[in-house]
Amino acid sequence: MIPLSHYLIVAAILFSIAVAGIFINRKNLIVLLMCIELMLLAVNLNFIAFSWYLHDLAGQVFVFFILTVAAAEAAIGLAILVVLFRNRRSINVIDLDDMKG
Amino acid sequence: MALPLAKQFALMVPELFLLGMICAILVIDVFLKNSQRNVTYWLSQFSLLITGILVLTMNPGERITGFDGAFVSDPFSVLLKLFVVGITIAVFVYSRPYMRDRELFRGEYFVLGLAGVLGMMVLISAHSLLTIYLGLELMSLALYAMVAFQRDSGRASEAAMKYFVLGALASGLLLYGMSILYGLTGSLDITRIAINLAHSPHPEVAVGLAVVFIVSGVAFKLGAVPFHMWIPDVYEGAPTSVTLYMGSVTKIAAFAMVIRLLAEALPSAHIHWGGMLELLIVLSLAVGNVIAIAQTSIKRMLAYSTISHVGFVFMGVFAGTDAGYAAATYYVLVYALMSAGAFGMIALLSRKGFEAENIEDFKGLNQRSPWLAFMMLLIMFSMAGIPPTVGFYAKLVVLQAVVQVDQPWLALYAVIMSVIGAFYYLRVVKFMYFDKVEEVVPVRLKLDAGILMSFNGLALLALGMFPSVLMVYCTAAAGGL
Amino acid sequence: MSYLQFVFYFFSALTILSALGMITVKNPVHAVLFLVFAFFNSAALWITLRAEFLGIVLVLVYVGAVMVLFLFVVMMLDINIAKLREGFVRFLPLGVIVALAMVVELGLILGAKYFQLAGHPQNQSMLPNTEALGNVLYTQYVYPFEIAAVVLLVAIIAAIALTLRRRPDSKYTKPEQQIAIERNQRVRIVKMSAEGKSK
Repeated sequence: MIPLSHYLIVAAILFSIAVAGIFINRKNLIVLLMCIELMLLAVNLNFIAFSWYLHDLAGQVFVFFILTVAAAEAAIGLAILVVLFRNRRSINVIDLDDMKG
Repeated sequence: MALPLAKQFALMVPELFLLGMICAILVIDVFLKNSQRNVTYWLSQFSLLITGILVLTMNPGERITGFDGAFVSDPFSVLLKLFVVGITIAVFVYSRPYMRDRELFRGEYFVLGLAGVLGMMVLISAHSLLTIYLGLELMSLALYAMVAFQRDSGRASEAAMKYFVLGALASGLLLYGMSILYGLTGSLDITRIAINLAHSPHPEVAVGLAVVFIVSGVAFKLGAVPFHMWIPDVYEGAPTSVTLYMGSVTKIAAFAMVIRLLAEALPSAHIHWGGMLELLIVLSLAVGNVIAIAQTSIKRMLAYSTISHVGFVFMGVFAGTDAGYAAATYYVLVYALMSAGAFGMIALLSRKGFEAENIEDFKGLNQRSPWLAFMMLLIMFSMAGIPPTVGFYAKLVVLQAVVQVDQPWLALYAVIMSVIGAFYYLRVVKFMYFDKVEEVVPVRLKLDAGILMSFNGLALLALGMFPSVLMVYCTAAAGGL
Repeated sequence: MSYLQFVFYFFSALTILSALGMITVKNPVHAVLFLVFAFFNSAALWITLRAEFLGIVLVLVYVGAVMVLFLFVVMMLDINIAKLREGFVRFLPLGVIVALAMVVELGLILGAKYFQLAGHPQNQSMLPNTEALGNVLYTQYVYPFEIAAVVLLVAIIAAIALTLRRRPDSKYTKPEQQIAIERNQRVRIVKMSAEGKSK
């Protein structure tokens, strides 16, 4: 049998890749949004693994809701992206320098 | 534990009513002409008012959980919900003329605003990791859309995108922490997590890992340094009516999340999150107060002031005692009142084609409208923490709580930082009273907004004179956690 | 190596590789496809954990709807790829360092003895996974379920409010007018004398 920690480490690697993706793709909003999806995927894997090893369905239910909310979030994120693109003709963060952070 | 289902639903009558009204308003709004948009507005205000009354009348007066521990009704939740609903009413009143002038006065705006309030109420009453997450997302999704609502403004959509990416990132961090916490304790229920953590042996590092992610997520949402980058940009870029909304009421809900997660679920891990909070507090107070001095835009200045106030709220939580939680509750409620007043003032002074978003725009306000200038004076004094306004007392109780847990240096540091911070609040007062303008543009003020603003400003003064009126409820709320 | 172990390592490796591919490829369309591939492989991983329902939902709902939405937006927006790559090389070292540090730290904690729970043979409830979820979703979790419904409602309202625009200059026809048309509005019979027969 595969020990729990193997699943957790796969999830941790996915999570770290998502964080690294956010770092290196900060110019590209579409990939940024996808990195967030990847992050949620890692979290879901965590929950499902724990749910199986703890014999508790709650983790799976949580994943069900994360999937729902993530879909809603993606819809709003892409809507904002479209609005932004209409205004700026660009999704490049470097063009978005109206405000200094 | 097992209440009958009808009783469980009775606990959440206010939420159900609000949800029903949201759907009704959504449908009614479709059949309204653009000139009848006021109907939507009054319906929204009516639903908020009734929701507030329902919260008050359905108050069980004790701590009851329902839906397998997913929902809790306690004095804490009742107090916070009342403030959320009440301040949202004020927010809508202040922002009506502003939105009218900018063609933002649309039905969806109110529907989203009410849905956000519903999310906040869910979050405040959340008693399991699952409902905390769902409430938080319901609130955040509504907010992302509201920030982007001014569709033809590049600045607003850019702010919305920034807010969205960082908000989603924060949710991701928070969820990762929650998943570890679930793995450690095998439960999503707040109480069961607390019991499990206190009684079964868990490796320190694993608990620490969960705490790191949860605290980072929470700090992102509240905007504590070093997770504060988005606050100034989003506050400045969003339409003032939205800044007003997100700067005041959402802080109350986010604070409830902090209390539920740290104080209720993880009290036994105080050593872990205490240290992290201390770092956040020290940095937030420094950045918030020092960088605010260099700002010329009043929205940015107030954004940095938010960061420093978040530091104060965290100080109360950091103390980790009932007195500390009561102080933090008091602080966040008072802060929501002050910031509603301050951002409301910006919205009221803006006209069609003119945004009163620079500090310079407050020049000579005393000539233009002495009464509004006086209200702004009260708000600024309260934010700076100058007696006899309530801001002074709020800072005092937080400091007391910190001193009680033997952290006098932190308290001293906070005092020094707020003295530095007082400078930029007083600068606004100086602009209003001592700088003269050439042409005096009279301020046109609607009666309802004027009355509410006066009430808002005078409440800060009255609460400052009789601070215990509210403090009693905060102590009861913290005691019932 | 048992069959289950082989399946686990095979699909984990594919998931991680496609995730790496997603954050490094040039073309956003390829990135979306890599993410889709990562989702497929993690669905397989979830099924090794007996989460069949969620695995299927991940493919049907996530790949089928959300990722298609992503693809749709990527293709709708006219994106200058070269510009998006600016800064990629500059931030690459930082990203790699951050990721490696996180992996090592998380790996040390999560790989520790405490999390080495052995897999248990099937002694969860004997119900199929979908049925077990269905049983609790509408009873124990009815309150979160309702909130999720509101979340979706808000997403619908927000997406429509943000992107729907009626353009005054767009040329569309009104169906009711099209139907109510009369013959003499479309065809005009012109009487004229025949030509060509002139001398």
